[in-house]
Amino acid sequence: MKLRFLVLSLLIFLFSFLIAEEITLNMIQVFTSPLRTKVLEKIISDFEKMHPGVKINLISPPYETAYQKIYLMVSTNQPLDIVEVGDWSLSSLASMGKLENLEPYIAKWEDKKYLLPGVLDSARIYKGTAYLIPNAVYVKALFYRKDILEKYGYKEPPKTVEEMYEMAKNITDPSKNQYGFDFRGKGFPTAFIDLIMTSYFDDIDPSNMYLTKDGKLIFEDPRAKKGLEMYVKLYRDTAPRDSINWGFDEQVNAFASGITPLLYQDPDTLGLLKDTLPKEKFGIAPLPVGPSGKAYPTFGFAGWGITSYSKHKDLAWEFIKYFNSPEVNAYWCKEYGALPVDKRVYDMDPYFNSEFFYGWKYMFNHPEIYQFTAYPLANEKWGEWNNLHEKTMQKVLLGKMSIDEVLKKWADFWKKAGLK
Amino acid sequence: MRLKRFLFIFSLMIPTLGLVGILSFYPTLKGIILSFQNYTVFTFNRIEFIGFDNYIEVFEDPVFPEIVKNTIFWILFSVLFQFLLGFSLALLMWKPFRGRGIYSGLVFYPWALSGFAIGLVWSWLLNGQFGVVNDLLMKLHIIRNNINFLSDPKKALFSVILVNVWYGIPFFAIMILAALQSIPRSLLESADIDGANSIAKLFKIVIPYIKPTIVNTILLRIIWVMNFPDIIYGMTRGGPADSTNILSVYMINIAYYESNFSKSSAVGVIILSILFIYTTFYLKITSKGEFEI
Repeated sequence: MKLRFLVLSLLIFLFSFLIAEEITLNMIQVFTSPLRTKVLEKIISDFEKMHPGVKINLISPPYETAYQKIYLMVSTNQPLDIVEVGDWSLSSLASMGKLENLEPYIAKWEDKKYLLPGVLDSARIYKGTAYLIPNAVYVKALFYRKDILEKYGYKEPPKTVEEMYEMAKNITDPSKNQYGFDFRGKGFPTAFIDLIMTSYFDDIDPSNMYLTKDGKLIFEDPRAKKGLEMYVKLYRDTAPRDSINWGFDEQVNAFASGITPLLYQDPDTLGLLKDTLPKEKFGIAPLPVGPSGKAYPTFGFAGWGITSYSKHKDLAWEFIKYFNSPEVNAYWCKEYGALPVDKRVYDMDPYFNSEFFYGWKYMFNHPEIYQFTAYPLANEKWGEWNNLHEKTMQKVLLGKMSIDEVLKKWADFWKKAGLK
Repeated sequence: MRLKRFLFIFSLMIPTLGLVGILSFYPTLKGIILSFQNYTVFTFNRIEFIGFDNYIEVFEDPVFPEIVKNTIFWILFSVLFQFLLGFSLALLMWKPFRGRGIYSGLVFYPWALSGFAIGLVWSWLLNGQFGVVNDLLMKLHIIRNNINFLSDPKKALFSVILVNVWYGIPFFAIMILAALQSIPRSLLESADIDGANSIAKLFKIVIPYIKPTIVNTILLRIIWVMNFPDIIYGMTRGGPADSTNILSVYMINIAYYESNFSKSSAVGVIILSILFIYTTFYLKITSKGEFEI
């Protein structure tokens, strides 16, 4: 009896020892979608196969609350090793002191010479130090439904904002449940508002979306009013009323179902559409330009960072390196829909030379038309701005606030936030 | 000897006190302290006391009056209809019938779901463009144009309250059904002999008998509903243009969007104060009655 007990307890001891041997890395993503999670899980399981005894636990909060969840988790040092850092969260996470400086790792990293020019620079926007390695870049382009535009006699996607408005207005017929512009009402609509509004300017400061080159706040400029009027018209005349409450999912849904055939979105939408829409039914064009003949897209990026309090930093770096290796990077960008950061991928895979990428390539090759412009992301008021921007914009769309009032409110906000 | 007895009693209380202290009192206290500081994502390294600044900022927010108004509507209509419908449901299920167990299990099902998940599901069901509810109403020829349940500010608050009512009915039904089952049969039988009709029985026997349960449940529900941002957060996040914004959603938005945990705590303390005053008042009034709580 005693012997049996002894053997049993020995077994339990050994077993628990084995369990303890397994290292678990906790990893959190920001831009969660079912497709993206599936692709990530595949990459993770391949990595786990190559590293026995390592387990990666993927946390996937809904996109709309992901940044906040991450802030909360790292501020309380909750177990987290690999964090997805987006351009919007880089400054706050880094200023919290919760991200590991990756420069020592980068210095020893051989593949860094294959990164697209500018990628590492954009990762170093906070005090010149890289706290993440971007694995993909995101730029908005115009997604359009070829089949629906053709039905109404349009062979080409719109080239200017005015053209787009006219086209969308002509298509719109609520009795047939047909609308034009795929509007974004909630869940960080900032970039959508600004892309239309700033297209009326020809002198935006490349380092700050809200300043002109001579340092004036754009909200106090009469051109801002013109631009915003256009944005409101797009909602009132060409978009479903309901879209004031639409986020990313609803937008993509409305595009895929054909209700709204004109959509401003990032390349990740391509990943979602690949499975839901036959590829001859839609195209991707450069963003329409405003009366100024210009448009001001922004260069979004996301990548993985390591928490400063992680106990497995080297292993986390191994994973990041693996993620950025050309094969994995190609798989990731193709499946999920993003622009790869490794130069070799573009030559390796003909997919990235297909017509779907024409819109983006055109924008990259015409800097005189498309000026890639940065947001004041490092400003402490940035988060508050997103909330205010969304809520006040909704008020204007509902007619509860005038365009003049809202522009004044926005100007006052940024003056108080020290932009000028 | 007395001291020994006191120490003995005290030592028995330690586990409970410890748990409640760590899980309830400490976070509350910390929240109150936080509300007088400048604790945001950007100021981790320089946290200091800033007096009533956070409170002033909240009270001076031009949308604050609307949020308070929405909160009152939200609580009033949610609890009222949850109670009325929950009570009716309990009455229906009072008499035993075949399959009552399964039936009540199904009825109580919404209560077992997470509020946030319910919010997300309903936001798709009520979607003005491709929602199932609109589709069904259209196919039944009840409506001709889609109803914008969540994007029309005049309907949005009504829509989220509707979902909250759906969610909260089972709780009232469970509590009231349990109370109904405790009414002695003899009371109702003697009422029958006296020739009382159903309405008289309801108002003269049933309601007075279960009054303590009703009072308690309503008290609890008001507190819960006030502290229940899940459904609204999942459905509209307080939008469009603050038309469904209530205090608890407002608090979350400040913490999450602005990453300003101090200002958010200030809203939390305001909610706490309102509930504290309300509970004291409520308990005082109800404890004067002829029944014990």
